Amino acid sequence: MKKPSLWTVFLMLFFLVVTLLVAKTFIVKIKVTHLREEPQFYARSLAVLKNGENVEQLEVKGSWIKVKSSQGKTGWIHTSAVKPKQFALLQVADSLKTETSADEVALAGKGFNKQVEGEYKARNPNISFAMVNQMLKIEISSSEIKAFLKKGRLGEFRGEE
Amino acid sequence: MRNKKTVILMAFGLIASLVAISCSVMEEGAGIFDKVSKIVTSDKETVSKTTKAVRSSFGDISEEEEYYIGRAVSAIILSRYSVYNDDALNKYINKVGKAVVFHSERPETYAGYHFLILDTEEVNALSAPSGFIFISKGLLKRCEDEDMLGCILAHEVGHVQKKHGLQAIKNSRLVDAFTLIGQKAVEKYGPEKLNKITNIFEGALSDIAEKLIERGYDRKYEYEADRLSVKIAAQTGYDPSGLVGFLKTMEQESSQKEAKGWFKTHPSAGDRIKRAQKEISSLAFIPEKAPARSMRFNKAVQGLK
Repeated sequence: MKKPSLWTVFLMLFFLVVTLLVAKTFIVKIKVTHLREEPQFYARSLAVLKNGENVEQLEVKGSWIKVKSSQGKTGWIHTSAVKPKQFALLQVADSLKTETSADEVALAGKGFNKQVEGEYKARNPNISFAMVNQMLKIEISSSEIKAFLKKGRLGEFRGEE
Repeated sequence: MRNKKTVILMAFGLIASLVAISCSVMEEGAGIFDKVSKIVTSDKETVSKTTKAVRSSFGDISEEEEYYIGRAVSAIILSRYSVYNDDALNKYINKVGKAVVFHSERPETYAGYHFLILDTEEVNALSAPSGFIFISKGLLKRCEDEDMLGCILAHEVGHVQKKHGLQAIKNSRLVDAFTLIGQKAVEKYGPEKLNKITNIFEGALSDIAEKLIERGYDRKYEYEADRLSVKIAAQTGYDPSGLVGFLKTMEQESSQKEAKGWFKTHPSAGDRIKRAQKEISSLAFIPEKAPARSMRFNKAVQGLK
């Protein structure tokens, strides 16, 4: 068998490194999400993942990703809850004295935040947030929504008799 | 000799790969070598500068920022309208809303989707960024069944999914905000900066409120939300012709009503009906209505005053 040329070795190595490093880590971009047993919103929650947490992709199924959390738990999350982690050279090579990526540091709690809302409230006392907070309290549990879909022949229960 | 050469080439390959990866994902700005030399200094401030001004449009607004914008827009809406206080009915609306949300492309937002009924005879539905969705009592009274309600809520979810509210914010305001915010991690704003950022926040809110409440979205956004309504409703299992049925009701009423709410902020129903029908005919599968849904809808709205 012919020995692979140096260029072949070089290219293989290049692609191997790229594959290993790019777009396999995601960051939770919403306040909280659940690590679920199945790729369904009403599936059992295995853990709560908070904003900024990193997860490793294991498998993709439609809009769902099977991931491993930083605590080592595996489960499913929806793609809309995460964003791909930006890779900077600093993160790739720890030996170069890694700083966390600028994006992560930058965006949590930045821009329009609770403090800005507080200032806005002080300026506009006639605009009340009380009902907004009430609205946020309306919660539908996983079991309630599952029963609702099932009874209404919706989602995966469509066409069932 | 050959082995040594291999090792050198492999090492070179590894370094080249690392540089290529980091460059490919670093944001726009100066040239490649400029970035690398900055990075190697391991200086946080430098990293911040490298990625500064990366944010430039509505698409760069973070989920958390969108949530705070959505909260304040909702507070403005709720300062103009009262809430229809019927816990059971509000819960029912939230179940229908969640059902369609789960079948949309953006089911997860910072604090999730929430739905609320406004106590007004005006016919209207509004969606604030990040998933705060309002439906008026007047509109609910015109809903014939759960499928129609599902289509209307799916239309609003479509606006949230495509961030139409955020697109109403003047770009110059966002550029000002992003420049002011910068990239440095700051725990709290000082008084001067807080004053400036709140001015921009207020400006952004008035941009959105004007579109949402006073003038309505651009026609193209309404068409897009209709298209998504058909798609999401069908994926959920609702009959998407509920949207057409609702638009027909609106068309009939539009001549009799003074220009308020829906009639003031939405393009004429006729054109939308044709487009929605075309969209429905292109679906691979059209779900049918189910008696169980009609029954629970009638039960939920029977006490509506």
